[in-house]
Amino acid sequence: MGQLSSPAEASSAAHPALVAPERVRALQRVGVLCGVAAGAWLGAAEVPTKLVSTGLSPVLISFAMVVGVFLGRWSLPAMVRGTSGIRADIVEAPHLVIWAIIAGCLWSVANTLTIFAIRDLGLSVAFPLWNTNGLIGILWGVLFFRELHQAGWRRWGAVCGGAVVIFLGGMLLARASSSQIASHVALRGIAAALGAGVLWGTMYIPYRKAYLSGMNPLSFVSFFTIGELGMMTALAVAYMGSFGNLYRQLTGAQDVLFWLLAAGFVWVIGDIFQQYAVKYIGVSRGIPISNSNQLWGLVWGAVAFGEFRGWQHGAVAGAIWGSVLMALGLAAISFSVADNSEYLKWAEAAEREHRRYGIDIEFVRSGMQGRSTNPPQRRTWLDWVLVAAATGAFVWTGLRAHWPSIALDGTAAVVLLALCLALLAACVAALWKVTRFN
Amino acid sequence: MDNEEAIERPETQANDWLSSVSGDVHFWVPTLVLIGGLLLLRWVS
Repeated sequence: MGQLSSPAEASSAAHPALVAPERVRALQRVGVLCGVAAGAWLGAAEVPTKLVSTGLSPVLISFAMVVGVFLGRWSLPAMVRGTSGIRADIVEAPHLVIWAIIAGCLWSVANTLTIFAIRDLGLSVAFPLWNTNGLIGILWGVLFFRELHQAGWRRWGAVCGGAVVIFLGGMLLARASSSQIASHVALRGIAAALGAGVLWGTMYIPYRKAYLSGMNPLSFVSFFTIGELGMMTALAVAYMGSFGNLYRQLTGAQDVLFWLLAAGFVWVIGDIFQQYAVKYIGVSRGIPISNSNQLWGLVWGAVAFGEFRGWQHGAVAGAIWGSVLMALGLAAISFSVADNSEYLKWAEAAEREHRRYGIDIEFVRSGMQGRSTNPPQRRTWLDWVLVAAATGAFVWTGLRAHWPSIALDGTAAVVLLALCLALLAACVAALWKVTRFN
Repeated sequence: MDNEEAIERPETQANDWLSSVSGDVHFWVPTLVLIGGLLLLRWVS
């Protein structure tokens, strides 16, 4: 590691001349589709948490969700790629384990901050504040990974303008929602929400670094979740006083654990799509698009849980206008795909990783093109053990779960679920066809 | 350092790896933000 290759070899690391423009466009289309699907699934992850009674400690809710995330992040990659494939990827760029763990820690601290932000401000106000992570992501993408370099004023305007419009739309949604929910705005809550936005926005530095290095998203998230669960366990123990207290609270919440694990699992599906979006369209485009999860959360709340009932006309109009603004911002960013000159700048950022860490040139090049240098690996007994353990955890908690007494429009829920599944199927098909999940 | 020398001296290789990480701004920015986040969490909780 650390040895430099020759400049000629380095310059060919991911030179756009080696990538057909049609290939670049296909990867960008997959990235946009993954960003949209990420928004839908990250928004749907809020649904199971709505089913949980509010009597639980927020830290316990967060911890149980992270356990669900951990189960999902090891079982899904084991099923799709296999632990042998994950091992082969990590051998190519072992230094990325450090960034994966840092990213996991950032996620856990940010998620815990959001709990305190919700406590002080309410979900509807706190949500758009931490969604500023998209703007932070654009900043780091431009500064560190040469995103939007040589993109031209039109693409700059579309991406930055789109991100600002999405943010404004989010604020409008928050205003509409907060007018219906009693909440007091506290400086502490705002600091917590904005802090979570900065932490989540910064988490995209490890993401982008990994994918410019040629890493497979399914391999990266497996190590990401070690930092995530480790940090969340430390925070939960610190807040509850001891492991014993954490265990007692977990066993006392057996009847709702399934819903929290399910929320974590649904969140993982959204997050995996977000990882692919960051890989193929960068942080500056992938994150604002996937931040449409706020819109999906509102749609679930309004249509399936009837949260609009009793709202004043002005509040409903505000929610509609906020949603339209977010959709316009999404469209602006989605249609502003990177051309070859911008792709060249991404390749230069990838070249830095190749030179600095001596990553195999073919690994970097093929990773950027959505291909793998490692041949597909057979599933091992470990893969099936991981899948069986995750399934067992869901079955065990599912058998103890109670359906909470909550008003739910079954037809609307089925329609929204069908939409999410349709996006899932479209993304899986596109990723398989274009990248074979690389 | 060339490849052969690095293979012969693994401790030098490890030092190179560590210096590559510790000299990388991509490492320090998330690390400092994480520390700031933990301090913020202590304040808000």
